[in-house]
Amino acid sequence: MKSSWKPWRVLIGILLLQMGPLALPNLAQQATSDAIRVVQLTGLVGVKNKTKGTVKVENGTLQFVHAKAKTELAASTVEDVITGNDSQRAVHGFVGTLTMFAPYGSGRFLSLFRTKLDTLTLQYRDAEGALHGAIFTMPVGQADALKKLLIAQGAHTTLPTPDTAAAADAKPDTTKEHQP
Amino acid sequence: MKRYPQIAVAFFVLLGVAVLFPSLRVFAAPPLVSKASAVQVLMIESDEIKLPAEFQVSLYEDLIHQLEKNGGFQHVYRDGDKRAAEAVDRIVLHSSVRGFKKGSEMARQVTTVTGKTSIDVHCQFTDKDGKVLLERDLNGKVMFFGANLRATYDFAKKAAKLAHDNFVAAPAS
Repeated sequence: MKSSWKPWRVLIGILLLQMGPLALPNLAQQATSDAIRVVQLTGLVGVKNKTKGTVKVENGTLQFVHAKAKTELAASTVEDVITGNDSQRAVHGFVGTLTMFAPYGSGRFLSLFRTKLDTLTLQYRDAEGALHGAIFTMPVGQADALKKLLIAQGAHTTLPTPDTAAAADAKPDTTKEHQP
Repeated sequence: MKRYPQIAVAFFVLLGVAVLFPSLRVFAAPPLVSKASAVQVLMIESDEIKLPAEFQVSLYEDLIHQLEKNGGFQHVYRDGDKRAAEAVDRIVLHSSVRGFKKGSEMARQVTTVTGKTSIDVHCQFTDKDGKVLLERDLNGKVMFFGANLRATYDFAKKAAKLAHDNFVAAPAS
């Protein structure tokens, strides 16, 4: 009688068992995100308006890295996260300004070519309870993912999307006091 | 016909007086509504108008920056700041959006004359007990150059000037 026991099948079985929990949709497990290139329009303390940098949500904080400096914002201090959309000229910045003086209306023609942007608006409180607002712009499609990550790590929103609402439900409610 | 030179002379004399004696303009300035060394800015309300969140936050942040820069107050406090309670002669600025028209930056850049963004805000200054000291409707707009959010900067500049003119004494010169 030939034995059906094969080591490689057992190995695959063990691997599948180990990988199983990772396949479950558990947003709380997403402790980190890839850095997203953003422009901070206004609002972060100690950061100039219209500063370019990268933003990452990690260990319960939103980290904005710019020019070798890092600004951190605890997700739990964020009272509202709202996404939006906007657009800007495909040729923008200083070169974009120069093109406005191009002859025969070619600068105006270039204004027709635009890139879409996502905006992420935060409202948060500092240690003194003072309310701050911050606005970021980023490539289209990134803001919703960032919002979900922030909410999964303790931020609040007044406009929950279905996904973020599910994440908020899954998250343990830290505002309630546990009675002994 | 021969009176034109006299009119021109009179015009330049008046112009010279206005330039050389700026103290005359001080007398024309309105009296202060109340003297205040600190102002607290509350978050912009937009119950009547659906205002995008980025405009609401931009209005609030620009208002604070302009009051710090040009308002002349010793302290500018944010909404909810616990330290504001220590300020004795503090005024509170309540702002509510009454009108909003989101224009198009592309339309402005392409046509110059269309695509204006405009925000109408009702500003109410109260003392710390809630007594109304001054109410005014202000407008912020961007007509030619700049992004839509620049309208909030325009409003903030006007609000800071209003606060300065009515609650901060001009330095004696």
